Amino acid sequence: MELALDLSPPESKHYRSWNERLRYVARYSQPEEIHVLLETAHSLGVRSVMAVLDPRIETALREFQSWRSDLDVWAVVPNMNAFIRDLTDRGMVGAALARFLRLRPAAMMATGVAALRSLGPLARADFTAGALWLAEMELAAASGLRVRRAFLHPQLTEIALAGRVTLLFTEFARRARSLGMEAGLVTHNCLRAAEVLGPGLDEFAAILAPCNPKGYKMAPSAAACGVLFRSDPARFWGSEVTAAQRVSARRGLAFASALGLKGAVLDFRTLDVLLRERASPASGG
Amino acid sequence: MGMVHGHLLQVYPGTELVGFADPQRGSHERLASQGLRAPVFASIPELLATAQPDAVFICTPTHTHLAVTRECLVRPVHLFMEKPVATSVADADAILALAREHRVMHAAGYVYAHLPIVEEARRLLAAGVLGEVLRFSAHAYISEVFGPKSGWFFQRELSGGGVVANMGSHVLFILGWMFGRIRRVMATTRSHASNVEDSAHALLWFDGGVTGMLDTSWSMPGAQMLDYGITIDGRKGTLVLGREQILLHLLRASGDHPEGWSEIHASDLPADTAFDISPHIGGESFYRQLRAFETSCRTGVLPFCSLEEAANTQRMIEGIYTSAASGQPVEVA
Repeated sequence: MELALDLSPPESKHYRSWNERLRYVARYSQPEEIHVLLETAHSLGVRSVMAVLDPRIETALREFQSWRSDLDVWAVVPNMNAFIRDLTDRGMVGAALARFLRLRPAAMMATGVAALRSLGPLARADFTAGALWLAEMELAAASGLRVRRAFLHPQLTEIALAGRVTLLFTEFARRARSLGMEAGLVTHNCLRAAEVLGPGLDEFAAILAPCNPKGYKMAPSAAACGVLFRSDPARFWGSEVTAAQRVSARRGLAFASALGLKGAVLDFRTLDVLLRERASPASGG
Repeated sequence: MGMVHGHLLQVYPGTELVGFADPQRGSHERLASQGLRAPVFASIPELLATAQPDAVFICTPTHTHLAVTRECLVRPVHLFMEKPVATSVADADAILALAREHRVMHAAGYVYAHLPIVEEARRLLAAGVLGEVLRFSAHAYISEVFGPKSGWFFQRELSGGGVVANMGSHVLFILGWMFGRIRRVMATTRSHASNVEDSAHALLWFDGGVTGMLDTSWSMPGAQMLDYGITIDGRKGTLVLGREQILLHLLRASGDHPEGWSEIHASDLPADTAFDISPHIGGESFYRQLRAFETSCRTGVLPFCSLEEAANTQRMIEGIYTSAASGQPVEVA
């Protein structure tokens, strides 16, 4: 079973306490700590890093890829938490323009031309056009990374699935391919994705959805998700495998493996647990 | 928020989205591009006359809520109102009076109260697991305001206030739901970045005798999403409510709960959500909130998240502002 590391910003996660939050946030604000995390993950067999890109994470990944050639990046774009924060400061157009103006000239040219083609829909605040432009800008800005897969940010994914906006998914997959990447899907509503996208689900090389022995976050039910996973196991990756640290990493991974899943995505807390379990094999439950 | 509610109304099996009221030009195309396919009307009277909804979700800026309620209640439509429900207690009471007068069901959008783990904490308290509740301490932090901000959200007369009204109110609602009517408030607030208060400390006294403190700030680094917690002490033990778990410490075993420390995790509670519109912000609570309101409309029984409960929250908010302005404790009628 393949393993990937979830490297979304530590500020975007839930913790057991405020002190635990500060400990992780402070730790992974240091580039060298991200390097240590990546090296640890690599030693545990992780060969892909799924990242919501911010300057700190992007820089650390770029440096790490310069000395480790066998680590792929899966970029989750756009960084919606950062975008929404900007939105309240600058408004929709201002937030988008700020991202555009941060690009290097070549990337600016490429995404600028794409934006010009979609000028009408962008001016009308069209959901698909806006989401794709933001995603393209972030992918262009990350051109220094070896990005193997591109995922639409889950906040956009769930809204688009609720609204059955299939165009966003097909167009995102097409544009990812045109940039030499595979498209992926990260969602907590995998059955809805299968229903809405139908055969279009095959456009996505990797689909991440919660998968754990407790059925935690497996909407609408663990049983229904299990049936879907078994229908095409090579496409699905498990997230939330420890049910928010409620089951051991080893048990969570065994559960996903028994369903035949292609892989599992682990966050830094789960890696800590795996490391401890490796150090004292009897402690895993 | 209107967008989120619109999507859920389309996804939820017991509801149908029949229309939007939005005077802004171009909103039809904008909403349709997100898959929100219902017609858009330029005014509430047009929406009511043409689409004839059974219920209306009011997701306009806070200062408009009373006027919009009046417009909606020309016919008996059930009301769901985003939080905070008003910019003042007077408006919140007027909204509640209108809803009662027209005998409609009503609910307020304090969504975190619908998280299964929060409902479980409330159930444990109501079951007397802690015995007589004595005191609490609570926090609500988020990283949102670190410099000057503009827009209606940061103008007190339009939004109802700053972090207390807009983020801390989630926890205030839960505290009111757990401990009852507010009686007395003493608070301090500070504005260090925006034109409204960015942080606050509030001492709260409830009718049942419970006292405690809320510390809230939207200028705390490290939390992209609301981080909240409530520690509650009772005569029989302590309950610590976090985002995904309850830690319980009991002096003696009670029911299924052992003496000493035990933990109830969100993943131990039954899963009952068919669609998670926002896994990282609110999660399944949005779906559960809609179900509570839809059930209320169908059965004619008010939900726990009614405007009555929200009016209690509004009293806390206003009490905090009044006390902070005067530097004195405030008796809340």
